[in-house]
Amino acid sequence: MSKIEEIQAHVEKGKSKIVPQLVQEAIDGGDNPQDILQAMIDGMGVVGDKFSAGEIFVPEMLIAAKAMSKGVEVLKPHLTADSSTSLGTCVIGTVAGDLHDIGKNLVAMMLESTGFKIVDLGVDVSTEKFLNAIKENDNVTLVTLSGLLSTTMPAMKQSVADIKASGLTGFSVIVGGAPVTPEFAKEIGADGYSPDAGSAAVLAKKLVTAA
Amino acid sequence: MLTKKQNLLETMNGGNPDRFVNQYEFLDIILEAPLRTRPQPGDIITNEWGITYSWPEGQLGPFPLHDDEHRVLKDITKWRDIVKCPSVEFSDERWAPAVEHANAVDRDDKYVTVFFASGTFEMTHNLMGMEDAMMALYEEPEHMHELIEYLTDYELRYAEQIIERIKPNALFHHDDWGGQIASFMSPDMFAEFFLEPYKKAYKFWKDNGIELIVHHSDSYAANLVPHMIDMGIDIWQGVMTTNNTPELIKKYGPDLTFMGELDSGVLDHPTWDKETIAEHVKKACETCGKHYFIPCLTQGLHFSSFPGVYDAATQAINDMSKKMF
Repeated sequence: MSKIEEIQAHVEKGKSKIVPQLVQEAIDGGDNPQDILQAMIDGMGVVGDKFSAGEIFVPEMLIAAKAMSKGVEVLKPHLTADSSTSLGTCVIGTVAGDLHDIGKNLVAMMLESTGFKIVDLGVDVSTEKFLNAIKENDNVTLVTLSGLLSTTMPAMKQSVADIKASGLTGFSVIVGGAPVTPEFAKEIGADGYSPDAGSAAVLAKKLVTAA
Repeated sequence: MLTKKQNLLETMNGGNPDRFVNQYEFLDIILEAPLRTRPQPGDIITNEWGITYSWPEGQLGPFPLHDDEHRVLKDITKWRDIVKCPSVEFSDERWAPAVEHANAVDRDDKYVTVFFASGTFEMTHNLMGMEDAMMALYEEPEHMHELIEYLTDYELRYAEQIIERIKPNALFHHDDWGGQIASFMSPDMFAEFFLEPYKKAYKFWKDNGIELIVHHSDSYAANLVPHMIDMGIDIWQGVMTTNNTPELIKKYGPDLTFMGELDSGVLDHPTWDKETIAEHVKKACETCGKHYFIPCLTQGLHFSSFPGVYDAATQAINDMSKKMF
């Protein structure tokens, strides 16, 4: 197994103490930083797929993301500006009136691992906050709205409508959360829906690279 | 006509119920019992554990705040210094309404029921935030075992008090173990951390007069059913349709009764209607059948978030009883 394969395998297993060390060894051994980053992204892709398939659960996803994050800390100084795999900026938040954050946080983590820069607005986010974040950040390619309560679905609907009507362009809007269905997502004008964090990352990448 | 209790037992034992057990009808839950401060709509409160809850006006329930300002336990290795369980002793005056309620229950018809929330798992993430609590299961397992043991001991001490005061016959115990399509953790991890503490707690309740353990988890948790049975749960309340309940009943029916199948998220909302509720009740009753199944909204108490929904479900279940029995 090559060093890079080893890094990917240890990201998948969530070995946050070993990954930084392996990344350093790979850099010292002359591996291309871009390839190292891609291996970690691929590792998280596997984690996302396994999560979607019910083979792993929230703790495994969290420790894998932590392992990748630790690896990226070591790698960052070695990445040149044009060597990133950035998919752009993702503005994410839980809609107004809703304080649930675990689903939103898992999605943010997976999107970050896929190559998005994350602007996390937190919970109970008003439409105005979403719009301001889209305006204030560079290269926003994705806006992600989460909601867990059936009572906050009108707020999600309103936010999506206002974002779409704002005249701001260059991004896709995706939605998710327990009461959200593909039909509801379509009805409110979202560009996509996913049932879990793993498939959200796959969907986001597909939408952004197709744009 | 069987009493509510008799009808429940016939349902749970695969005998001859004369109607569907209708939602929570067999439990008389003593909500007056003192436990801890609970927020009301519009409130932000800090309870006896130091956990701050916010219940935004117009929303369905409270939610713990876990920003840096409010999170109680930021470093699991320091839990002994930080987490202080509240007293379980309350004055006679505080107990009086609960005792009065319990004394008024016809125990031949219904179970005098303790309400206990939050459960051990929920307490870990209420104290720490979900991410920290979940990561700590991997990163600091010994500390997590200790914290879980501490929380379990608190429950047992509370159990002693309430058992002495109201002599309950049933326990309605909340602890959500999953989201709507997956359990939060794997069955193996669940077993490693939560099975033995729950076995200990539920054995204590049963050794002290509790005849029926009803556990609430309105989630997917089909993969945890063997552990539920092992720890002594009699009824899993909150089973959502995502669990494929008819299959679970076929596989585990004699060992566990399933109470739910009416997903509150789908049925209990501002624009609810009787026809949709009746359709869901019909499907639930027809697919799950007469044994080891109690049709019920998945919400964790005997009411709905929006007025009329609970009663509409009750009526629809009565209608199905007339058709199927």
